[in-house]
Amino acid sequence: MTTAILEVDGLSVSYSIPGDGLLGGGMRSLQAVNDVSFSLQAGETLGVVGETGCGKSSLGKAILQLVKPSAGRVIWNNRDLCGLTRKSLRPLRKDLQIIFQDPLSSLNPRLCVGEIVAEPLLIHAPELSAREREQRAIAMLERVGLRPEMALRYPNEFSGGQCQRVSIARAMIVEPKVVVCDEPVSALDVSVQAQICNLLRELQRETGIALLFISHDLSVVRYMAQRILVMYLGRIMELAPRDELFTKPLHPYSQALIRSVPVPDPAMPLNDYPDALSGDLPSPLDPPSGCVFRTRCPKSTPICVSQAPPLERRGDRHLVACHHPEE
Amino acid sequence: MTVLLECENLAVTFDIDQGQINAVQDLSLTLSSGECLGVVGESGSGKSQSFLAMLGLLARNGRASGSVKFRGEEILAANRRRLNELRGSRLAIIFQDALSGLTPTMRVGEQLAEALRCHEAVDSAQARARAIEMMEIVNIPDAANRFSAYPFELSGGQRQRIMIAMAMICRPDVVIADEPTTALDVTVQAQILRLLDGFRRHTETALVMITHDLAVVAGLCDRVMIMYAGRPVEMAPTATLFDRPCHPYTIGLLKSMPTLRNDPAADLPVIAGQPPDMRKPPPGCAFAERCALAEERCREERPQLRQVGGSQQVACHLVSA
Repeated sequence: MTTAILEVDGLSVSYSIPGDGLLGGGMRSLQAVNDVSFSLQAGETLGVVGETGCGKSSLGKAILQLVKPSAGRVIWNNRDLCGLTRKSLRPLRKDLQIIFQDPLSSLNPRLCVGEIVAEPLLIHAPELSAREREQRAIAMLERVGLRPEMALRYPNEFSGGQCQRVSIARAMIVEPKVVVCDEPVSALDVSVQAQICNLLRELQRETGIALLFISHDLSVVRYMAQRILVMYLGRIMELAPRDELFTKPLHPYSQALIRSVPVPDPAMPLNDYPDALSGDLPSPLDPPSGCVFRTRCPKSTPICVSQAPPLERRGDRHLVACHHPEE
Repeated sequence: MTVLLECENLAVTFDIDQGQINAVQDLSLTLSSGECLGVVGESGSGKSQSFLAMLGLLARNGRASGSVKFRGEEILAANRRRLNELRGSRLAIIFQDALSGLTPTMRVGEQLAEALRCHEAVDSAQARARAIEMMEIVNIPDAANRFSAYPFELSGGQRQRIMIAMAMICRPDVVIADEPTTALDVTVQAQILRLLDGFRRHTETALVMITHDLAVVAGLCDRVMIMYAGRPVEMAPTATLFDRPCHPYTIGLLKSMPTLRNDPAADLPVIAGQPPDMRKPPPGCAFAERCALAEERCREERPQLRQVGGSQQVACHLVSA
């Protein structure tokens, strides 16, 4: 399982947003993703974690070309997706699917869920008859834990967890190779969250799909992913196998993130937690010079102000971007 | 420890087009000074509505019945004037969404000062000084200058700090925090939880922490009430609840929670199914449909909350006393 099926190389995304001028005069550029490179292995789940605004969702969308990257390449089957036209991208989308955070707003309210799940087949398997499409949609609905008769109901008749099952069925029906999961369980109740996580894991075991699992919740990512990418202000801070990241995180930001997760143990009162990160995320419009994390970093020194640390290998599959990584 | 809030058989109903929803039923609890109570449940479990009802803050189609006493005074039937005296000064609330909880066109410092001036005889200079002091206590950097900031100029974490400052500025007896950290990042959540923990250690204020996250209550609360489909199903001291959860729902919740400790290779044990439709609640135990242990009796007869052991209460037919 060491063949890379998707290669992301130097990917950047920038948005232009209105500047300070009256009437929106002067556009400013917001760099949401900055020079991100990694590869996704066949059958693995790569977790992407970080705080709000760190660029993790933009990264997911840029890989699928749902937002246009400003630089970099996404290599899929020896082709760079970034250079392709919409038309030539279309057949490739069969292999690259996405599941969004808000299950209700990502489903068309005017279609019944059977139609929603069958719709991708219209584009990607036009040779199928209407009857075959329906059969496949129903089989897929059953696979994700919904009853066949539910195919005729509309999204507003479903709970959040059920809607997310429909989204998963819609993504999986074209037998993709890669699914980007953008906070797929964040909007769900705790008891339903576990059901959806398990479902994604089962589907992965059965089909061997690779998942890019984006989440702000470290406990969920730890459970879903084999490797984890930690992002901060659009940049990769650390990329490491799961157990390595949780047992010996090297980047001060990863350490702080892990320390901030509340422990469900009454024997561990809050004031026993080591110092949590102080301050808030700086504005991505005006990121700090040098290392973007330095304004909140307990280990910051003059070199962190003047130079951005490169992403360097520490150990076999462990990458970290820090001038003073934990040894 | 003085008893501050006594709530007996509180029920909340909402009138809707198709009839009525019983959002909360049979809720009884007491809250004493200096205590921190965690209220845990999923969306629609009635956890927020219970406490909104106690403060007289239900939506227009909502009605509350039963009894809620604050320091012995019945407040469920109190008129608006009396409630306005109590709310903000003695009983305060922190909402989840700090952006919509603050007035967008008013400087945050002035909103803090206003909260104080409504309830205490202070002049504007004193109010300003207290507001700035309060902003410093909740760790707003450069508080004297941030006094003049508008809510949109602050980050989500800072806005939630302002909400906390506003709730605390009149030194209330009871603060109800309704999912105060749910919209925040985990690093900021850690800061806010420590801040709340500091308040409750250094003041006599009783804190009610409403959340869906059991991990949040673990380090903060003395006691936890678990709600399901509008009713409390288990109530216990925090350590007991985590040690010896009794209700199958509590047990399921604890097990289905991904943590940084459990084995990531094993599938998470899940609670199958989903909460019942509150428009047509089942006649027996609301959890029976999802409960692996449910018997005939559970589907027919609703279990009452009763004492098991010294300090634990549970509503389940299958738990022996």
